[in-house]
Amino acid sequence: MSLLKPFNKLPELNTANILLVENETQFQKKLADTIVQLENDVNVIVRLARSLPLPVEIAEKRQRIDLVVFIVHLSSEQSLLSTEVSLKQLESGYFMGKMCFLVTGARCGTVPSERLTSLKKMAASLNSPLLMTEDGTTEGVNTAAQRVLNMLKISAGLVPMATGLYLSSLIRYTVPADPDWQDQD
Amino acid sequence: MMENTIECPREGVLSHLDVLEMEALKLSRRQQLSLQQQSRVDDLRIMVEKLRAQRDQLKARVKTTMSLQQLKAVIDQGPEECDDDGEEEGCSGSMQLHLLLLKARQTQVKYLLQAHHVIGGYDVTETRRGQGVCVSIATAFEGCYLETYNLELDVTRTVRICRHNIPPFIPLEKLVQENLQTDLSNFLSTLSQHLNAFAGRRQQVRLIQAVLRGSVKVMESNALFNTVVVMCTELGENHRAVLCTLEYTDLSRYLPTKVTIESEDKALPSSPQWKENQSLLLETPAHTALQALKEKGQIA
Amino acid sequence: MDDSAKQVLRRIIRRIPSNKLQITLRKWECLSKKQFRSLDFTQPKWLICENLLSLCEENDLSLKHVTELEMIFHIEHPTQGTWYVSQLIDAEEEALTSDLLNFRESFKVHLKSLISHVSVKIKKHEDDAIWIRIAWGDNFTKPNHFKPTYVVHHLQTPYVFVTGLAAKHRPLLHQALIPSAHYGSIKDVHLSGRCLTALRDLLMRRYKQVFPEKHPRLLEERSPLPSHPNIENEHAKHAENRLQMAAEAFGDGMLPKLQTAVYKLETSNLLESLKYCVSSGMASAPVTPLLSSIPRKGRNYFVITDKGPGINPTPGPNI
Repeated sequence: MSLLKPFNKLPELNTANILLVENETQFQKKLADTIVQLENDVNVIVRLARSLPLPVEIAEKRQRIDLVVFIVHLSSEQSLLSTEVSLKQLESGYFMGKMCFLVTGARCGTVPSERLTSLKKMAASLNSPLLMTEDGTTEGVNTAAQRVLNMLKISAGLVPMATGLYLSSLIRYTVPADPDWQDQD
Repeated sequence: MMENTIECPREGVLSHLDVLEMEALKLSRRQQLSLQQQSRVDDLRIMVEKLRAQRDQLKARVKTTMSLQQLKAVIDQGPEECDDDGEEEGCSGSMQLHLLLLKARQTQVKYLLQAHHVIGGYDVTETRRGQGVCVSIATAFEGCYLETYNLELDVTRTVRICRHNIPPFIPLEKLVQENLQTDLSNFLSTLSQHLNAFAGRRQQVRLIQAVLRGSVKVMESNALFNTVVVMCTELGENHRAVLCTLEYTDLSRYLPTKVTIESEDKALPSSPQWKENQSLLLETPAHTALQALKEKGQIA
Repeated sequence: MDDSAKQVLRRIIRRIPSNKLQITLRKWECLSKKQFRSLDFTQPKWLICENLLSLCEENDLSLKHVTELEMIFHIEHPTQGTWYVSQLIDAEEEALTSDLLNFRESFKVHLKSLISHVSVKIKKHEDDAIWIRIAWGDNFTKPNHFKPTYVVHHLQTPYVFVTGLAAKHRPLLHQALIPSAHYGSIKDVHLSGRCLTALRDLLMRRYKQVFPEKHPRLLEERSPLPSHPNIENEHAKHAENRLQMAAEAFGDGMLPKLQTAVYKLETSNLLESLKYCVSSGMASAPVTPLLSSIPRKGRNYFVITDKGPGINPTPGPNI
């Protein structure tokens, strides 16, 4: 198995690479379209994948990936399971400010709450940010794209005086000191 | 759109800026899209040119190989017998020649297959890891490509049709019983004949409707286009309506097997002129025959 | 115009939606232009109906004309009721050359020799379909025009589409149909639905099927993936394969509309078999709730609809 590594290739000038991992590929496409439309100054390359590891055939050609986004739909158990499997294919370097979770469907009442809880725990244990988004509306997609894009620019080193590690230490998800959380363990 | 957004800046400067930004984005996206489309069209045009050139090349190659083969065959026929009663060296030489010939034959078959595809013969594709094949049969009439029909065959034990898109009125069942198991290539060629004949008959009716509109009217035709009734007006003294019934009993042919001429004027069908017209309709595609009658001034 | 004809007309007008009334009546061609103009289609339907009745009286129209109107409406709107499909088998040579005139005569003669009181109307539609309207009576009663049977048949194809047929009339219809279409017998093909055109397209293969090809240029063209040069799909091959597989299984483009499919799983102990499938690894776990919910919900009849995730709560026992 080949782990995805954040620093095994040199970066390219004025270019940022983002990888969107989603099992169902619906939200992925909308998000990708919006991201490339929003950004005009930086050459943003969006890669879409259903799961990790990525196919080895084009490993040589693939540029280094600056930010990995896992899209998790709370409405689907498969989505969460597939994310868990894919996470193992990332080298530890990515967990220092080069990955985040994007969650949809958190507002839906019929979704089992355990899924969100276990995802939150996962994010907390990996020190990574967890963004809640709305995938049904254009506005929701726009907002998500904007936020992801801002993170990407930082993790690709295109924003002076900021690093992914710094940003992620500010916005990462932490387990609240709530007695309820301890109970659920 | 733009005017609307400019008119109402009540919601605050930031949201207004937001709206303006979205508008700018939309505009730039539209421009990009049109640029992309233009370049795609150009690409496709270049591709067409390339493919055409390639096709011509292939045709030329097929032609040369064929003529070479013929030449070789002519040369080989003579001296081969002399070679046989020659010495050992002659024998190994003939072996080598034999090998060369086989190779040439292989290339020839390959080119033939390619050429077969180019001229619209049936294509065979392997499916389900060798367990099945998919045959596409292209139909054409007078140099014009019409529908392509497909058959997916299961070849694991006995040959069986899994699925197909052949119209229900083609007597496929009968053809299957006749020789699907015993002679596949015969089955395919018979089926292809049926399909081509059907497409041809239908195309004739379409051409009559398109080209001879106003002078010839298709009164009746059926799903299989094996009975077609057309009406035209005779340009004699009385301008009588003439009814031509074309019957195609042989479903693998696009020419009728029986033509009946009817008219109010009972003598008309047996007149020598219409006898001649009847045999013309039996021998030429209906639209060409009727067009000819029109040009000769026999029908309106 | 007698009372029964009037009643039939009233009933037909009631069934035609207001917005379709004008166009249907125009196709009917039983009213003169002036009469047609005198009808005010903004009026309530019962009023239009009364005006129409008096116009029909004026023109001395009969039941025959009224049923004609019903047929026109049915042909234009073939989604009334459920259609069942049968297939004629053992074609004779003549089946390939039969035409409307012969079929019409033969069908009427055959049916009328089987049952004395029956009213048959046959019409050819633009798409070569033959529409048959049958109002059944029996030896003592007149044909009932309130519950007609509609039969659609395309000559030279073995398929017959039927709606509104009572079980007792089925053998009569079949006995008349088989010889007039020049076949040997008929069988049920287990296909039914509300949309006639969908059933027809499905059986006559008029929807776009996809086959594996040597030069799959279509695939590249329809693949929606490369929307922008900066977006790259790592699993594009997979996506293409899946698209191709889906298209090969179900077809491409507009698909026929089918509302229901019924599967019957029959075995001596269904639950034991399902359990074995999961425990032996034949089915991937977790097994779909479609199967696993049988013991949990305590029922074995499920309806799956478009709305909402999971299984729609069709009424069942409370457990």
